[in-house]
Amino acid sequence: MNISYNWLKDLIETDLTPQEIAENLTKIGLAVEGIHPFANDFVFDIDLTSNRGDCLSHWGVAREISAIADCGLRIADSNLERNSANPDLVTIQDADLCHRFTARIIKNVKIKPSPEWLVKRLEAIGQRAVNNVADITNYVMHELGNPMHAFDLNKLAEKRIVVRRARVGEKMQTLDEVERSFSEDMLLICDSEKPVAVGGVMGGLHSSISDETTDVLLEVAYFKRDSIRQTSRKLGLATEAAYRFERGVDIENLIRASNRATELIIELASGVAGDFVDIYPTKREEISVELRYEKIKALTGLDVSNEEAARILTKLGFKSAIRNPQPAIFTVPTWRHDISIEQDLVEEVARHVGYDKIGVELPPSVGAGEYQPNEVRKFHLRQALANLGFDEAISYSFIDTKNDDTFELIPDLVDEELEEKFVTLQDSIIEGAVRMRPSLLSGLLDAVRTNFNHQRKDVKLFELGKVFATASNEMDLPKEQELFGLVLTGGETFEGKSMTGRELDFFDTKGALEVAMDAINLPSLQYKPKEIKHLRKGQAAEILFNGRTVGSIGRINDEISATYKFRQPVYVAEIDLQTLLAEKENAVFYKPLSKFPAVTRDVSFLVKRTTSYTEIIQTVQDQGFDLCKNVSFVDVYEGKGMADDERSVTIRLEYRSDERTLIEAEVEEIHRQILAEIETKLGAKQRF
Amino acid sequence: MSEQKQQVLEIKNIFEQEFSRFADVRNTINNLSLSVAENLRHEISEFKIKHTGKKSLIAEAKKLIGRVAPEERGTFGQFVQSVEKEIVTAIDGLEEKLKTYINEVKTAREAIDVTLPARRPRVGHLHPLTLLRQRIEDIFVSMGYAIEDDREIETDYYNFDALNIPEGHPARESQDTFYTTTGLALRSQTSTVQIRAMERRGAPLRVIAPGRVFRRDTPDMTHVPMFHQIEGLCVDKGITMAHLKGTVAEWLRRLFGKDTKIRMRPSYFPFTEPSAEFDFSCFKCDGTGTFEGERCRPCKGSGWIELGGCGMVHPNVLKNCNVDPEIYSGFAFGFGLERMCALMYALDDIRYMFDNDVRFLEQFR
Ligand SMILES: [Zn+2]
Repeated sequence: MNISYNWLKDLIETDLTPQEIAENLTKIGLAVEGIHPFANDFVFDIDLTSNRGDCLSHWGVAREISAIADCGLRIADSNLERNSANPDLVTIQDADLCHRFTARIIKNVKIKPSPEWLVKRLEAIGQRAVNNVADITNYVMHELGNPMHAFDLNKLAEKRIVVRRARVGEKMQTLDEVERSFSEDMLLICDSEKPVAVGGVMGGLHSSISDETTDVLLEVAYFKRDSIRQTSRKLGLATEAAYRFERGVDIENLIRASNRATELIIELASGVAGDFVDIYPTKREEISVELRYEKIKALTGLDVSNEEAARILTKLGFKSAIRNPQPAIFTVPTWRHDISIEQDLVEEVARHVGYDKIGVELPPSVGAGEYQPNEVRKFHLRQALANLGFDEAISYSFIDTKNDDTFELIPDLVDEELEEKFVTLQDSIIEGAVRMRPSLLSGLLDAVRTNFNHQRKDVKLFELGKVFATASNEMDLPKEQELFGLVLTGGETFEGKSMTGRELDFFDTKGALEVAMDAINLPSLQYKPKEIKHLRKGQAAEILFNGRTVGSIGRINDEISATYKFRQPVYVAEIDLQTLLAEKENAVFYKPLSKFPAVTRDVSFLVKRTTSYTEIIQTVQDQGFDLCKNVSFVDVYEGKGMADDERSVTIRLEYRSDERTLIEAEVEEIHRQILAEIETKLGAKQRF
Repeated sequence: MSEQKQQVLEIKNIFEQEFSRFADVRNTINNLSLSVAENLRHEISEFKIKHTGKKSLIAEAKKLIGRVAPEERGTFGQFVQSVEKEIVTAIDGLEEKLKTYINEVKTAREAIDVTLPARRPRVGHLHPLTLLRQRIEDIFVSMGYAIEDDREIETDYYNFDALNIPEGHPARESQDTFYTTTGLALRSQTSTVQIRAMERRGAPLRVIAPGRVFRRDTPDMTHVPMFHQIEGLCVDKGITMAHLKGTVAEWLRRLFGKDTKIRMRPSYFPFTEPSAEFDFSCFKCDGTGTFEGERCRPCKGSGWIELGGCGMVHPNVLKNCNVDPEIYSGFAFGFGLERMCALMYALDDIRYMFDNDVRFLEQFR
């Protein structure tokens, strides 16, 4: 909001410079964002908070300065008569929306351009001059805070005003030359036949002041705040008047504002004051607030004497019948719509004493701080992935609906029975992105595409974040589940080296998951080959934890790759982190170190590609030989010299006793049995 | 004896003649290639065997010592030994020189460029928002606060009513808030966590709530429709605005250095009363407004950086959480993590935060 320095000086007795005024205003919460010179004036650009409707005028700002600088305000008296010969001039039918209405008739006006001083005043605060009467109503609004409207009296049917709600289908062309239709909850200012203005929002074009106007009806009224807000929103009409009515104007200031405007019209448009009507059906209730002075210190820590607190409040227009003994009771001024409780009074005092006077103390310390239950484990997880070369992604929670049914979701998230299984926004800011994501994968694949577009072909990203789905019970709030997802593509990369190494594949992805599980201190996951919607057949697995599916891993299928225009393999994994973090952490128990040497044997098997490594290991373990202490992976070979449906797997078996050194024959016997079982059970052939 | 002596001198003569073929080596050694030098060294070691070994002439000459008259035997013996020593010294000297030279050449050949890049896998990077959040969380945990987070999709009660934002309040209008088709709100501030934390923990409490929030802002350089806030709440007996100021000053000092100053300006929020905005002295220009002779960018030359809002928790909010405002008082403060990140890293466009462009991410550690 713009406030003129010269204008302020008309209203207050002060010698403060523009800079001093700006500093004071900022200090008390009317933040001055800039001081702009204009002709021989200075204009303050003030950023007002929405509760301070009372400061949307020069008078309101002057009142604040008078309190902070302890100086007087200049109020001009009026000698205008307030009698009315015609009680039917104004009828209020809907007093719940129009609490008070004043009308003044001014005759024989001459419409012409405003004098230069008035034009300059308006221009200084960014307002355009139109004609003397319109300019005066605008001027007085900016001076005293009450919006007002001037009608051409001769264009009002029966020359009278009816304030009422709109009727079904009622229409009117507003001042901005737009034909508008009204709904029945909107308040209109009408003549005996038709609407002539949208109450508190904008006047009608037909009844507005024109060059031919000779007689004026000047309206200064008070409308219900919520009603103005709704009407203004519905009509898409954000006017200066509506802005002020919404925030609340001073209902007790209508006559003063009317008189001020009338006197200016008499002076500048050579009019003659006529009838005056003041209809005030809905009286404002007086608000009294109790103040226990010690609450000022209790809430702000400020030491303020009772006298000083009372002085500030009085200067701001609060009246106190009782000051001593405590508690004092203050009556809230009619222009303040933001004060109703003791804390509000404390703030009034505190901001005028100055927040800079508030001390700097730490609260007494109690107890120890704590992170969120799993924050430390998630910290380790993030750090471990970063050490492994992954960058951390954060993607928008809302995604495009075109991703629906692209990805296989983590189990138990979505209830397929539901008609609306996903959480959906009514609309979005980013086109199409109305779905609350049920998977992290779409965001991660978008990120891969972004990086590919910047010629970055080697990408490893991970993300921790919530996914969403409708709850099965419609009374429940939507499900929010924290997942962990990762994506990788391209080759191994090295610090400071442009050349990449080996191409990354499924096992790098699996490795990253293992690192993640180690970081959150859980036992390892199991992998089971499975067809997964978004993954390429044969390079896809579901991920299990203690037999329960917690996610999926594999290579993105060709169809999705094609839509993203990926020309190289992209691997993804997604797991239900929230569920995993609820699992019991690994406990470490020491195992005695063996005193006896181990015998190790490496064996290669030729197996069908459908036979998994896990099956081989399982077959060894199932035989339960105590002396076979360990079985581990050595190598796998497929390709040249091998049938297409076969591969060679080499494992290492380790035999050892905790009591003695094993003899060769003993090891040989067990080893032979183990190999025989693998051969018969899995149809594997030992290779030499 | 002179006959024998003559014989020895003859041996010496023969040696010197043969050794003369190595005469140049001493001077030209630094020009020799490694293979020539190694061949030479081999040649010399054979030469050494020939002239000093068991079958050498000088070894033969030692046998003459017994044939010399006993009274001259001592002198002659010394003479033979001196000739032998002369021969050995000459050969060893040359051999040592070659050996040193060969080592030098070999070492030079294996010299590496120590300025070449190290050999290590590329290390990834945490998101700048994570890095900053972790730093701030660490500070508050050390100050006795519990970190809390909660739902992102909320009812109007938690997002508005409980926070003293009644129906019809401008902050509640749907142009700012995302709504689901079922009428739930994506939380527009982490203050929702204040309510849930107070409901769970009761008073007294000290809580920090970092989290994701949503507002219907069209993305531009300083706005994104999803961002992160950090909100602090302290409720106890006798809590004042001085404690609020002290707490905000303390954590900003721990983050930006001990000379950081803060100021509060009156403001308005529905959920606090009194309310304030807080600024801190610019970390770049130390509050002077100029940096390297020019108008400082982060603070736009004012020396102060606006960070967030704060105030004393509104009694209605306390009552909504069954905390008696006559017994307890509390302060709350909140600020945007993206904005703070942008300030700290001189980032001019916060949309990069959610692009996941590796060129952006890898700049932070
Ligand atoms: Zn600065």
